[in-house]
Amino acid sequence: MASPCEVLIDCNDKLLANNIASAIAKEAWRIEDKYSRYNIQSVCGQLNEKAGQSCAIDNETFLLLQFADQCFQISNGLFDITSGILRKIWHFDCSDNIPTQKEVSHLLPFIGWSKTSLTDATFTMLPNMEIDLGGIGKEYAVDKAILIAKKMSTYPTLINFGGDIAVTGPRNENQAWLIGVEHPSLKEKNNVMVKIKTGAIATSGDANRYLLKNGKRYGHVLNVKTGWSVEEPPNAITVAAPQCIQAGFLATLALLHGKDAELFLSDQDIKYWAIR
Amino acid sequence: MQLTDKKNVKALLLTATTTLLGTASVQAAETKADEWQFDTALMYYGETDRVTAVEAIIAGSKQFGNDEILSLKLTVDTLTGASANGAVAQNTPQTFTRPSGKGQYQIKAGETPLDDTFKDTRLQLTGQWTQPLTERDIWSIGGNLSKEYDYFSAAINSNIARDFNKKNTTVSAGVSFAFDQIDPEGGIPNAFHTMLIGDVDSSNFASDFDATRKESGDDKTTVDLLLGLTQVINRNMLVQLNYSYSASSGYMTDPFKVLSVVDQQGISQTYLYENRPDSRKKHAFFGQVKYHFDTTILDTSYRYMMDDWEIDSHTVDTKYIIPLANGHTIEPHFRFYTQTAAEFYKPFLLEGQVIPQFASADYRIGEMDAMTIGMKYGIPLSDGEHLSFRIAYYQQSPKSDGTQAVGQLNDLELYSKVDAIMAQISYSF
Repeated sequence: MASPCEVLIDCNDKLLANNIASAIAKEAWRIEDKYSRYNIQSVCGQLNEKAGQSCAIDNETFLLLQFADQCFQISNGLFDITSGILRKIWHFDCSDNIPTQKEVSHLLPFIGWSKTSLTDATFTMLPNMEIDLGGIGKEYAVDKAILIAKKMSTYPTLINFGGDIAVTGPRNENQAWLIGVEHPSLKEKNNVMVKIKTGAIATSGDANRYLLKNGKRYGHVLNVKTGWSVEEPPNAITVAAPQCIQAGFLATLALLHGKDAELFLSDQDIKYWAIR
Repeated sequence: MQLTDKKNVKALLLTATTTLLGTASVQAAETKADEWQFDTALMYYGETDRVTAVEAIIAGSKQFGNDEILSLKLTVDTLTGASANGAVAQNTPQTFTRPSGKGQYQIKAGETPLDDTFKDTRLQLTGQWTQPLTERDIWSIGGNLSKEYDYFSAAINSNIARDFNKKNTTVSAGVSFAFDQIDPEGGIPNAFHTMLIGDVDSSNFASDFDATRKESGDDKTTVDLLLGLTQVINRNMLVQLNYSYSASSGYMTDPFKVLSVVDQQGISQTYLYENRPDSRKKHAFFGQVKYHFDTTILDTSYRYMMDDWEIDSHTVDTKYIIPLANGHTIEPHFRFYTQTAAEFYKPFLLEGQVIPQFASADYRIGEMDAMTIGMKYGIPLSDGEHLSFRIAYYQQSPKSDGTQAVGQLNDLELYSKVDAIMAQISYSF
């Protein structure tokens, strides 16, 4: 998951806690191996490799892609797992190296979830297209870990995969979990303290990844429709939702709303903590 | 940028996630900061042949956005049964007038005199507001109102706690003021006045009885000061030390208690209403250690209390919390208590001797040991709900303070033990 992962179990049974933690670690590695876009042997790597062909997929992959499809629909096309190839021209290294409109326009034909087709057994996209489950994979792993924790014990458990967090329920004596949200883009004083008893939180945003040219700042959040940076998104946004994959999607979607991120969330009556 | 159409994103996502994760219903996730949490308990306390109490508690607490906490608690209890009136047992039956003056009761030969008129319902309301002042200071203020038929009590308290040393050390200080008012039916007896025993149906009994007492009630005030230190020793160990000082002034006599005046043969001649000092100052020292072993927790405390009535007491209390494999907990509990008698405690008075300034035969301020052995079983339910059962056996063993018994009292039980059973069911949600 390319980030520290932890499992906190509020109990005194060391043996059981160890067993739960190992089962969860095993599941996390399984998902990482199966869906990492960096691994060419992974399902994700193979689908990208074979873009243009109709590829057989298993049920879990179908369910994940179907979820991505629903995210695309819900977000009116803002959330799109085929947008990853924009990284080929956008390198957010704090330089002034912004791509030209020509470069952007050249890539746009290869972006767009609507150009793919999904059935319960196959997935097809245009040649040179790529999918990237980065926006939902880690959160999916957190939710799967919660299912494992709940199955193995009734002890209150918290799963934290690199800041994407979910809990099985309140801590002992009905206490809330107190979570300090640390984020690369947050100065220490900006750390958000969040209390949850049930559900999940996820954080999106990275103020350290940007380009600066002629006094104009280009943040790393890209609009898939234009291929350009979204204007004035919050530096980071943390969202609470019943499940982590929902929180992760909502946090990303909020950033895609740029300066209207908070408005979007409050309009939908969604609990969030934003840092500007 | 255009906002997403006015569709319910949450509801749509819920459906999508349910399919993905195969999970059925999912609860709301937000901080629930605006929800009340409740603790309820039902307790039964029964002494063999004496007092029976049933108590119901409902406590609610609510946490607000900036970590403020409001706690409210309502307690209702009913007390019925009999309690020792202070007189000594005799070889012959004894007759006592009820504290209200309305009627009399008889005690059989050889039995500890118990006044069976105890029947009361108490309603108590407690509220506490706690809020952080700074990152390391927490301040709290609260109040308490309690009302029963002949008793009223009101108290306010405030305390402040400060964290040091990366929150490993907490120092706290608190103060409370209490006001208590007693107004028993039939008034308050005059100190050391003889209990009037005669023909309750006679025309002048009521006026004669009234002459032994004050019409009005009386009151007392209490100030408590508390200093506390909590120290985290290491990952497994926590230590707490408290000192408290309490000063009461006002009416502290028990208007329902008497002393027997006996002759050299130990035969009761009269019963005198007791009289206690109108001031009392207590010092208490308390230490507690919680040690977290690999799986279990040992919680042990010791309290030493001394006061200017010369009651010194020691309490040792130990709980051992054992989690079971299924997430339930089992918690054995042991408590031992011992106290010395108040300086003015007299199991009885001797005829012909000068009546002291203060005297009481109430066994609760005499020399005594007490012991509690109990067990609690806790069951965590889903969604943070919690159910627990507790049962305990309690024994009070009053002892002689060295007073030499006379005559027939040598053969009678002057210090009878009290056995009680406590049972409690608690449910938190």
